[in-house]
Amino acid sequence: MNLLKFLLVGLALTGTPLFVVISALALISFYSVGIDFSVVIIEMTRLAETPLLLSLPLFIFTGMLLSESGAPQRILLLSRTFFGWLPGGLAVICLIVCAIFTAFTGASGITIFALGGLLLPALLSDGYQQRFSMGLITSSGSLGLLFPPSLPLILYGVISQSRIDHLFLAGLLPGLLMLAFLMAYAMFKSPVQGDRPPEPVSGRQLRRCLWELPLPVIILGGIYGGLLVASEAAAVSALYVIVVEVFILRDVAVARLPKVLCSSMVLFGGILVILAASMATTNFLIDQQVPQRLFDFLQHYISSKYTFLLLLNIFLLMVGALLDIFSALVLIVPLILPIAAGYDIHPIHLGIIFLTNLQIGYCTPPVGLNLFLASYRFNRPIIELYRASLPFLGLLLATLVLITYFPWLSLFLISLWG
Amino acid sequence: MRTSILSILRRLEEGFLAALLLVMILLSCLQIFLRLFFDSGLIWIDPLLRHLVVWGGFFGAVLAVSRNKHISLDISEFLLPARYIVWLRLVARMSGCLVCAVLTYASCLFLQSEMEYGSGDFLLLPSWAWSLVFPLAFAAMSLRFLLAALSPRTAGASITAEECFDEPA
Repeated sequence: MNLLKFLLVGLALTGTPLFVVISALALISFYSVGIDFSVVIIEMTRLAETPLLLSLPLFIFTGMLLSESGAPQRILLLSRTFFGWLPGGLAVICLIVCAIFTAFTGASGITIFALGGLLLPALLSDGYQQRFSMGLITSSGSLGLLFPPSLPLILYGVISQSRIDHLFLAGLLPGLLMLAFLMAYAMFKSPVQGDRPPEPVSGRQLRRCLWELPLPVIILGGIYGGLLVASEAAAVSALYVIVVEVFILRDVAVARLPKVLCSSMVLFGGILVILAASMATTNFLIDQQVPQRLFDFLQHYISSKYTFLLLLNIFLLMVGALLDIFSALVLIVPLILPIAAGYDIHPIHLGIIFLTNLQIGYCTPPVGLNLFLASYRFNRPIIELYRASLPFLGLLLATLVLITYFPWLSLFLISLWG
Repeated sequence: MRTSILSILRRLEEGFLAALLLVMILLSCLQIFLRLFFDSGLIWIDPLLRHLVVWGGFFGAVLAVSRNKHISLDISEFLLPARYIVWLRLVARMSGCLVCAVLTYASCLFLQSEMEYGSGDFLLLPSWAWSLVFPLAFAAMSLRFLLAALSPRTAGASITAEECFDEPA
């Protein structure tokens, strides 16, 4: 049996879809203790009892339609016009734009692909060093993961059954802290002669930019104004984006809309089957009291909450570098949640620690996904990107320490408005 | 002739998924509209939406097999030379085919017991009918994995990350 499970790990390395590997693990595990296969499916049917799930395809679609449209260029134009005069203006804008874009599209490396080609030439022509610019874009490719309505944040809510409005609030301060650190560094590294003044833009161009601005208001205002739950806010933003991008700005042709709808469902399907498969494995692990036994084992050696958090961070950084964020969430969260509860760690705080780690894992050598994507996108050897993203990695790790050891960063806003 | 039937099928599939998502968006918005402006709502919308999400997601996953969009560890694709990748993919797809076939069997077992002991009707249909998505989707995925394994296109250039959001060639 253990040999079989070992084989499965090998299978994952061949590029077998992870939902296949996880399902196989569930099937083998239940079979090995003599439980009927159909239990795996029974667990999957529980997905239809999760109302929050609906927000995933809707936000995926919103993000996808936005990236199909001219929205990235417009956000860039708008922020250059208003913030371009700041020291390190362009670099700071890069960070903000990447963060917003990632929050809406989920951290699937799309930011690097959609914005990298736009931002890198702009940074270079403004006199920023090549290495700095590449590092900036690579590490900001997953920035914004902590801001609503990021998909990993919602998925953590689904798995841990935490309140999503609390999670959205919890991510704000840690996310802003991370952004502030990187901004300060960007200002420090900005070229001496200063950025070129932005080219003048016409009023008409600017007016086109105004249409996307209400989106955060719809989502945050709707949820915290008590009008909408998360999945409803997702539906309203989806409808709003259709109306704006297809019918008002006409960035996306009507004939193109079914393609985008369909591709969103494909992307969602990939996440859903992983979630489905992991419901079964999780049930098995909890049935076998694995988290409890792990906790007993750990407590034997680690009594301090702080030591546990340190080990957790190291472990999660490795996970984040190896696994993609969605599989990492569905596989690890159910295991860690009960253990963290044993060490008296708030589940919302745990979620923020989790996502911060996974985000940093994206740009951690040797196998962080962002590094590969950037290496591919900018046509540069991967080693060069390791070096380029190193200072950014250091800053992100510093924020991780703060986020981990100051829980109020995550919990303060909840106590204020929650 | 054969290709035209296939392309009609593909368009039907894409249209079905697109329509599902559009229906989900519109139904949710209708529900919000009714609640905010008329202080009422339709009780069948919310449970229907929860089932549509599962149906849509699983059939999206079926199409994801053909489009090679399933989430996997693609480290080896970046690290290994192309001639090994062809073989890796064959292994990956055959195991996908096998595991999905077992999941289809598990779904049938589940459906059988649902038919016998299942709870009552839901939205005009018996509750097991809503679970048909599992055997249907897993069987379709198993078949798609097999087709992908046999298809000569597998031998082609590696799928780039840029195609993340594109249609298949």
